[in-house]
Amino acid sequence: MNKTLRAFKQAWLFGLVLVLLITACGPAATQAPEQTQAPPATEEMVATEEPAVTEAPPATEEAPVATEEEEETVIRIATPNTVSTLDPIKSAAAGDIQVFGQLYSRLLKATPDGSELLPGLAERWEQSEDQTVWTFYLRDGLKFSDGIPLTAEDVVFSFLRLRDHEGSVYSGPFQPIKDVEALDEKTVRFTLDGPAAPFFGSVEMFNAGIVPKHAVEEMGEEEFAKMPVVSGPYMVREWLPNDRLIMERNPYYWREGYPKIDVVEFIEVPNDNTRVSMISTGEIDVAVSVPWANIEELDQRDDIDVPLDPSTVIEVVLLNHKDPMLSDVRVRKAIAMALDVDNITKTVTFGKATRANSPLPNSLLYYDPDLPAIPYDPDQAKQLLEEAGAMGKKLELMMVSGSAITEQIHLLMQNQLTAVGFEVTIKQVDLGTWWDLLVGGEYQAAASWWYNETPDPDLAVRWALCGTCGSDSFYTFYVNEEIDRLADEAVKEVDPQKRAELYHRIQQIALDEVAQIPLYYPPYTNAYSTAIQGLMMNPAIQWSLEEATITR
Amino acid sequence: MKKINLILQRFWQIIPVLLGISIITFLLAHSIPGDPVRLILGPRAPQDVIDAVRQQYGLDEPVLTQYFIYLRNLVRGDWGQSIAFKTPVLELVLLRFTPTLYLLIGGLVFSIIPTLVLSILGSANPDGWLDQTIRVFYTVGLGLPSYWLALVLVLIFAIRSGWLPATGFGNNIKEHISHMILPWATVSMAMTPILTRNLRATLMEKQDADFVIAGLSKGLPRYYIFWRHILPNSVLPSLHLLGVIVLYILGSSIVIEPIFAIPGLGQLYIRSVIGRDYYVIQAMTLVFSLITVTATLAVDVLTLIIDPRIK
Repeated sequence: MNKTLRAFKQAWLFGLVLVLLITACGPAATQAPEQTQAPPATEEMVATEEPAVTEAPPATEEAPVATEEEEETVIRIATPNTVSTLDPIKSAAAGDIQVFGQLYSRLLKATPDGSELLPGLAERWEQSEDQTVWTFYLRDGLKFSDGIPLTAEDVVFSFLRLRDHEGSVYSGPFQPIKDVEALDEKTVRFTLDGPAAPFFGSVEMFNAGIVPKHAVEEMGEEEFAKMPVVSGPYMVREWLPNDRLIMERNPYYWREGYPKIDVVEFIEVPNDNTRVSMISTGEIDVAVSVPWANIEELDQRDDIDVPLDPSTVIEVVLLNHKDPMLSDVRVRKAIAMALDVDNITKTVTFGKATRANSPLPNSLLYYDPDLPAIPYDPDQAKQLLEEAGAMGKKLELMMVSGSAITEQIHLLMQNQLTAVGFEVTIKQVDLGTWWDLLVGGEYQAAASWWYNETPDPDLAVRWALCGTCGSDSFYTFYVNEEIDRLADEAVKEVDPQKRAELYHRIQQIALDEVAQIPLYYPPYTNAYSTAIQGLMMNPAIQWSLEEATITR
Repeated sequence: MKKINLILQRFWQIIPVLLGISIITFLLAHSIPGDPVRLILGPRAPQDVIDAVRQQYGLDEPVLTQYFIYLRNLVRGDWGQSIAFKTPVLELVLLRFTPTLYLLIGGLVFSIIPTLVLSILGSANPDGWLDQTIRVFYTVGLGLPSYWLALVLVLIFAIRSGWLPATGFGNNIKEHISHMILPWATVSMAMTPILTRNLRATLMEKQDADFVIAGLSKGLPRYYIFWRHILPNSVLPSLHLLGVIVLYILGSSIVIEPIFAIPGLGQLYIRSVIGRDYYVIQAMTLVFSLITVTATLAVDVLTLIIDPRIK
């Protein structure tokens, strides 16, 4: 028995050493799949030290319309987001937003970086003096992917559907449209309730894609949402829900010579590590949202690029104003001052994100870069807590489990808040439960993020800072009637300077009252193969796929 | 006659089991907080749209009413609609069945064969150096978390060396197999230790059984006794573990499939739980239970047929 025991011990020791050696060559990963709906990057993972040996061979499927000899160019994109429907009005989730822009054309078309609006389906337009009547003139020869002409009737149909359909998830921006009519085959006139500054931009929004009246009516809503007739650069080749969406070039797309790449595959891969592996081995060409910790190592490779393009995402700490302790502005200020936001930003994002000063994302119009951020002042924080009688009180942070980034932020917060005198606990729940508790106001503090679909700040303010606009200030239950009033005024104000002043005041008030605590502005952390040229994601989560090319 | 009766009995037992699992799953899924519609439509969806869609799916009815509607439809062959994808659940399940089937069968094959080999080798020379090595192997193997192991395998065999694909399922049988090698290895390394330990212990135990002594006294050679008597008697009890093994592989598919980006049932299952896609959760539970119950039943039937003691 002794001999056996000894042999066993030796072997065990050997095995242990072996295991440790393997681990040392690549630190072990430690977490579960991430479930997010938007671009922001997440977890840490196994680091690789040598570049991969293989690159996937080019696709050699036959193009449906081309001759036997021609090869199709394919681009494969791995995304954590899921595609749930192909009907542009039925969803506002990130995975769907990405796709709608490829399937449906709008009256206007944004430049790849999203900074300018150019003619799209409409070649020119006019507006009345008071900006309440807009007339758009469509191009000649527009057709849908089934060859049937695209006319003003379809535009009218699409917008009315957008505004009135009970399943239209994001109809808010289109409520100011009093009437929309087709003056003739190629002319559409919008009459608004009153001047609305964001209107021009909202005509280019992800859900304002033009859908064919004849197809929606013939196929019925459900069938249309699965295999639609489209107006954009790409049409649907195959959709395998929860797996991948394969799109191919739309031969009737209005832009001659576009898109340049024949086939686009959106592959759903919720696990961050897996997406990093896939791009490392060349199995895919684009990995959406790679973890902060992997950026350096991927970017340093000759065959991969991580450009960190600007997004409209903002990471914030939500405070529940319904909570008796947090309803006191001194306590909220104390929390804001107790947090070393620069330190949190540098640690979590490896210095790749910009520390936030304003409650609005920095890529929005009228974002105020000069607004002084709440300083890191733990002594002042302690003083405020004493004054408010909140010293030593309990504070619970609520987080969504499964993301190492979220965990990191909450742990850092816990540390810094305990240092000023709170008794901090962290509660981990899954996404569904988190939303339930948030919407019901059954929490105290939670770090989260949000983003805006357009560069215009109106919707952002209504979402995050307006207590009477339906979202309870992103469920912080913050209500300041002056902000609501200013927001209403700003949406009707067409003079840019006056608008800027209004939004400046809104940001100032929100900051002074600590409506939320802004943390940082993360850029997109998409990784691209260097074989691709001309591809980027703009702040409105739209890909410039039609302009992109691949050289393998 | 008795055998057939026994077999039929086992067969009828399945139905109440499945029914019980079904209702418990339904009640559990509906009792956890979380609104599937909100999760699907995105954070910016207004409350009235969420309410309209909830009504469409009948999510505001009392839970038991919803269950009976579900059951009634199920009997007619309608497995319900996925809230997330607005497609019939049955379609989703059939689409994703094949990859998980590959995982299951490959996992079984690559666990059972090494188990047999290792246990036989080990018990042939108990406490010999080969046996010691095997015992170290399965002790270490018992401790390794399969999730971590999967990532290490991907790192070594896919990323560093490029020999095998890291993810996905491929487009034809040859590709399917090359894509499944690492997942199969993961399952095998998770299952083989436990099974080997069990089988080896049983084999060792049987070495001292009466029939062995009887055989030896008859003059039968050792190897004949081993292959003809010891092995069959040891494997039979281990066979009962098959149902457990199948369930384990199915359960671990929930972790393995997302890592390897395999579009199978496991990935669908975890997604549907997190997204509260109730009818998909029901369907997945039903499918997994059916597979497990069928495997267990098959083993029971097989045992009954083989075992000459029952007449």
